Amino acid sequence: MVAGKSEDNGGVKEFQFHQQLNETKWQTFKKLIYDPSNNAVFGRTGKSWGQLLLFYSIFYLILAAMFAICMQGLLASIDEKVPTWTLERSLIGTNPGLGFRPISERTEEGSLIWYNMTNATQVTRWVHLIDEFLEPYRKEQNGENFVNCDFDRHPREGKVCVTDLSMLGNCNAKRSYGYNTSSPCIFLKLNRIYNWEPKFFTTPQKGMPAELQQFLSNDTVSQTEKEQIWVSCQGQSDVDKENLKGFNYYPKGFAGYYYPYKNVENYLSPIIAVEIVNITPNVIVSIECRAWADNIQYRNSTLNREGSVQFEILVDAAAPIQTKLVVDEERNVVETAAGTTTQPTSSKSPS
Amino acid sequence: MMFVIVLDAFRLFFQHGRSDSYRGATTPSSYDDNKTADGQPKARRKVQKKPRKAGDLDDLKQELDIDYHKITPEELYQRFQTHPENGLSHAKAKENLERDGPNALTPPKTTPEWVKFCKNLFGGFALLLWIGAILCFIAYGIQASTVEEPADDNLFLGVVLAAVVIVTGIFSYYQESKSSKIMESFKNMVPQFATVLREGEKLTLRAEDLVLGDVVEVKFGDRIPADIRIIESRGFKVDNSSLTGESEPQSRSPEFTHENPLETKNLAFFSTNAVEGTAKGVVISCGDNTVMGRIAGLASGLDTGETPIAKEIHHFIHLITGVAVFLGVTFFIIAFILGYHWLDAVIFLIGIIVANVPEGLLATVTVCLTLTAKRMASKNCLVKNLEAVETLGSTSTICSDKTGTLTQNRMTVAHMWFDNQIIEADTTEDQSGVQYDRTSPGFKALSRIATLCNRAEFKPGQDNVPILKREVNGDASEAALLKCMELALGDVMTIRRKNKKVCEIPFNSTNKYQVSIHENEDPNDPRHILVMKGAPERILERCNTIFICGKEKVLDEEMKEAFNNAYLELGGLGERVLGFCDFMLPSDKYPIGYKFNCDDPNFPLDGLRFVGLMSMIDPPRAAVPDAVAKCRSAGIKVIMVTGDHPITAKAIAKSVGIISEGNETVEDIAQRLNIPVSEVNPREAKAAVVHGSDLRDLSSDQLDEILRFHTEIVFARTSPQQKLIIVEGCQRMGAIVAVTGDGVNDSPALKKADIGVAMGIAGSDVSKQAADMILLDDNFASIVTGVEEGRLIFDNLKKSIAYTLTSNIPEISPFLAFILCDIPLPLGTVTILCIDLGTDMVPAISLAYEEAESDIMKRPPRDPLHDKLWVRTYFLPIPTLYTLLKTETINTIEQKTCFRSTLVDLIGWLASSMQVPAISLAYEAPESDIMKRQPRDPYRDNLVNRRLISMAYGQIGMIQAAAGFFVYFVIMAENGFLPMKLFGIRKHWDSKAINDLSDSYGQEWTYKDRKTLEYTCHTAFFVSIVVVQWADLIICKTRRNSIVHQGMRNWALNFGLVFETALACFLSYTPGMDKGLRMFPLKFVWWLPAIPFMLSIFIYDEVRRFYLRRNPGGWLEQETYY
Repeated sequence: MVAGKSEDNGGVKEFQFHQQLNETKWQTFKKLIYDPSNNAVFGRTGKSWGQLLLFYSIFYLILAAMFAICMQGLLASIDEKVPTWTLERSLIGTNPGLGFRPISERTEEGSLIWYNMTNATQVTRWVHLIDEFLEPYRKEQNGENFVNCDFDRHPREGKVCVTDLSMLGNCNAKRSYGYNTSSPCIFLKLNRIYNWEPKFFTTPQKGMPAELQQFLSNDTVSQTEKEQIWVSCQGQSDVDKENLKGFNYYPKGFAGYYYPYKNVENYLSPIIAVEIVNITPNVIVSIECRAWADNIQYRNSTLNREGSVQFEILVDAAAPIQTKLVVDEERNVVETAAGTTTQPTSSKSPS
Repeated sequence: MMFVIVLDAFRLFFQHGRSDSYRGATTPSSYDDNKTADGQPKARRKVQKKPRKAGDLDDLKQELDIDYHKITPEELYQRFQTHPENGLSHAKAKENLERDGPNALTPPKTTPEWVKFCKNLFGGFALLLWIGAILCFIAYGIQASTVEEPADDNLFLGVVLAAVVIVTGIFSYYQESKSSKIMESFKNMVPQFATVLREGEKLTLRAEDLVLGDVVEVKFGDRIPADIRIIESRGFKVDNSSLTGESEPQSRSPEFTHENPLETKNLAFFSTNAVEGTAKGVVISCGDNTVMGRIAGLASGLDTGETPIAKEIHHFIHLITGVAVFLGVTFFIIAFILGYHWLDAVIFLIGIIVANVPEGLLATVTVCLTLTAKRMASKNCLVKNLEAVETLGSTSTICSDKTGTLTQNRMTVAHMWFDNQIIEADTTEDQSGVQYDRTSPGFKALSRIATLCNRAEFKPGQDNVPILKREVNGDASEAALLKCMELALGDVMTIRRKNKKVCEIPFNSTNKYQVSIHENEDPNDPRHILVMKGAPERILERCNTIFICGKEKVLDEEMKEAFNNAYLELGGLGERVLGFCDFMLPSDKYPIGYKFNCDDPNFPLDGLRFVGLMSMIDPPRAAVPDAVAKCRSAGIKVIMVTGDHPITAKAIAKSVGIISEGNETVEDIAQRLNIPVSEVNPREAKAAVVHGSDLRDLSSDQLDEILRFHTEIVFARTSPQQKLIIVEGCQRMGAIVAVTGDGVNDSPALKKADIGVAMGIAGSDVSKQAADMILLDDNFASIVTGVEEGRLIFDNLKKSIAYTLTSNIPEISPFLAFILCDIPLPLGTVTILCIDLGTDMVPAISLAYEEAESDIMKRPPRDPLHDKLWVRTYFLPIPTLYTLLKTETINTIEQKTCFRSTLVDLIGWLASSMQVPAISLAYEAPESDIMKRQPRDPYRDNLVNRRLISMAYGQIGMIQAAAGFFVYFVIMAENGFLPMKLFGIRKHWDSKAINDLSDSYGQEWTYKDRKTLEYTCHTAFFVSIVVVQWADLIICKTRRNSIVHQGMRNWALNFGLVFETALACFLSYTPGMDKGLRMFPLKFVWWLPAIPFMLSIFIYDEVRRFYLRRNPGGWLEQETYY
């Protein structure tokens, strides 16, 4: 190291030159990894490593403990049933969106429903997904806190309404929910928001499909029956609209007596089955479904979608299946090449 | 052509006769009328100069090895084929011109501007950021090609990084584009015209047209146009100050007196001034080969090398890169193992590497250095190169020039001897010293001689200038005498008028005296006064009597002994001694009106009355001894390197403190013990005075030995090359060297030094260009300031870096958790940038204002083996703080150096808005007694070291990350996503297809809503980082003391805290932020969860430092004290 003696010059050592490091880079590197002179690995002896690790272990232990205490404090302040912030005070806001089923379990596939009509495996896959979704609805809904609700009979505190699968119409399990035909069924549900109360459209609104508008302007229907959150679907773009012949909704809307959602046990969301009538095969069709209520804002966007949902369907057909959609007010019957009949009419999809 | 030559030979033969024909044949006599054979004017071909190569630098470092001064004149003419009366023939001149090129200094190869710009754009830290930016673009590209709608985060980050680097590069470029104008300043030293003899005619040519062998005539007032050998002279004197530092005019004559070309009398050098007389000489070298040209070549060719702080920054970059790559690769592998797609893993790798780069650090360090530069500028210390600000703090050796740097460069009468006693005169600049008695008759006689036997005069129009500062016509010694007498007696001109001069014999070097005869002012006394001054021994020879105590006594042995002792003593002090004598000429032999003959003296020049001696010296500047003492107590070695004589140098060294009381050189010991020098054990001598001629014979090892084993060294009679060699020797020993100087001969050393300090007023343009720092008021004491500021900024930069690096962990860890735990991303890219480039900058810079930590108990010097620090900061646009700086520094200097463009101002304003807290740390006061520490060891004391990283990353950073994560969980839970629900939810969370993700309460969230939730978490994480950084800032203020002692007086820091918080509020709550930056307003309660962690940081560090103070040198200090 430094040669020569140091002399005291008023308390500070007279400066002596420092020794230069005269090793090559490789040598310094090797020394860094393992230094034989004092058994140092990565610059520290075993004892030094031990001390350091002990220090850090204690440090992190205390830090972890502190963190745990804070988390405990957090969890203690959280209610089990009711979120701390709700509605406007929460970030969930007051604008529920829609969810659709079936959705692929693989998130890479996004919102595309893609199957080949004649391929039994593929069809089964989607049917299974829907089955899974409908499972809680299929179970016994009696006992416990289930009640039968009606437009005039809203459920009381702690009770949930029964949802009857029979209202799903053509979209039932026996028909494989339409997946072996060119009229698959999609199930829609409105997002649950704690304590959210809908305000209904009881009169026709601009943009509603004609059939819905008709329903709403019909005076024979009782007011309470009009207290539903309506739903309508359409193609995203004009091309999509061309590929869609029409939709059937079973039922037309989400009944008002299901709301507000209060995180009651066994609560089941109302569902609407949408039968997409005779979709053009071998083409990806982008469909958007929206909910209608006075306090549901609607926005069609990719990142900021509000009050609606979007999905794509691609039905592959080995052989094209001709479908004729005939609207016959009086006969209420539609004939298709496949010979199956459909139930009460669906109108041409509104543009 | 051949025919013409033969014809000429015949002609000569017949003209000069046989004996001369050989000579005639070799004497050019054909006339060149500048026309080709067929009568066309010859085109003047542009002469190519061969460019100076790097290897030539070593040649330049060698001493001048020529023999032109040793050979006989005839041989000289022979070699150059020239003739003393006729000069060169035009043809020969042209031939030489084409062979050697013009007599001008070759400008150095300048790198093209765009190359310099690119170097700034891509150097060091900037390269790291470029790599980061490119990686970001690649990541974005990958995402864009694989996913339909890629998140634009990576694109944004890449763009910002690129912008940061580009702005930085532009700024650095402007900083350094003041570039080296060394050659320009050398040009100012070059003479314009010269009087040349060509073919018997006297021509006035441009100095560039001179060639080897030209015969030139020079007279006083001229600049010597090339290196010449004198063949004729008449009272010729030159001022060699630009080469040797000596401003005393040297007489030149045709005699060969010394082996050393710089010493011999028969050479005069390019661009020195002729101050007296006339001469004729033969050009022996011109252009780059002149002594001046060689110095210029050295000074411009030298590579200045990396500043110490530049080295530290490289070190830092390596470490950061190492950590970044290590982390990145580790998580790349982990991501792979966890089953991520390899493309995703690559994107993670890129993200981690980029997140590790502290973007704001560049700006922080620049601003910190700038603030220090500003402080130094206010103390009249102009720093030309920002990094040099810190260099003085790391300096371990100062090599100082003597004349003009340590001394006032003005001969002043220091001692007098009369009445058999040595009287001290006052040499201070402002006459604040002890005054001497002016009433004794001895003094009256002495002063009369000094006043009358003196040809110097004050220049007109200086009545209100203080006497010592007035300009004088005349040589330095006489000027000194004149000023002394003016101070002592008052109006000298009146005295001279009253004692009219009738005859005078000026000084000549043979007789070594000067004598004049005056009429007596006393009307009653008709006798003439003869006054004489000169070399003391010559004066004594001519005296028979001596005037002591008012009486004239015979000059006996006793008196001669006394005289000798006095002479020896004064000479030993290194002063220049002059003897004075006078004689009253008897009025009978020499009545008024007597015609005195000066050429052939008809009056006595012997048997005079000796009156006394006066000795003069170039005294040290007033502030120097104190400054040297402070430097030495700061552990810095001070070495004197001068071109002056060893005795004078040693005397000055003793008087300023470079050689301290009681320290002896080997010669002193030899004298004391009465033994020959060779028998003295060199190890016993702490001081050493080394002569330049000895230096020439030393090998590098021997030089190293001298440097290593002597603590006090003076190098005398050194040439510019030798000064450079000494600097290199010190650097080889591992020292960081500062060089102070003022002349052209210092310029190579100034350039080579780690920091060159030039005198602002007395310094030549060349030295100012070569230097990194200029003392605007020539005050050597400013160096002490520089050392203090430099050390302080080093400490404060450590703090700034620790502060900025700490926030890296809470920025990276969310990303890691995102990968490992599959939770929604807790902190986004934009918010990271808001921290690094927004809220952290001002506090980090404010640490530069921190004061030194006060010394509670005297601490032992720092252990050099363990103290490391990394700080590498690069340049980013400087905030308004800098614009304040700019206005002050620009106006004080005549050269356009730093900080000079409106564009830079604009950039500065843009960056003003960012970066406060980190900068505020630069304002922290120093913690310990900085000037009592050893200089740092550049090999072991680093700016950023393991301890700093350990503290920043391993301890404080982790606490901050915990705070951030806690807030994240709080917000998620309060909105419905309890912590357990979050793990594993990442894929669903980020999928645009899923519009009904359910939380712990059964609520279902749309994509939009949950992204709003996620961004709110980002904002809250960002805010919590700001909150914990409050605590971090306060603990970074001090490394050892408690905050209670240090106080919160650093107002920049306090401002930084407020600014940081205000900015965070602004970013969170301003409407519209959600669209652009995706930052959402926070509920007030969400500011609170970070507070317990903030307090724990504070408490932890206070406790740690408390323990550190109680157990100095203990394990905790070794592991955590950076």
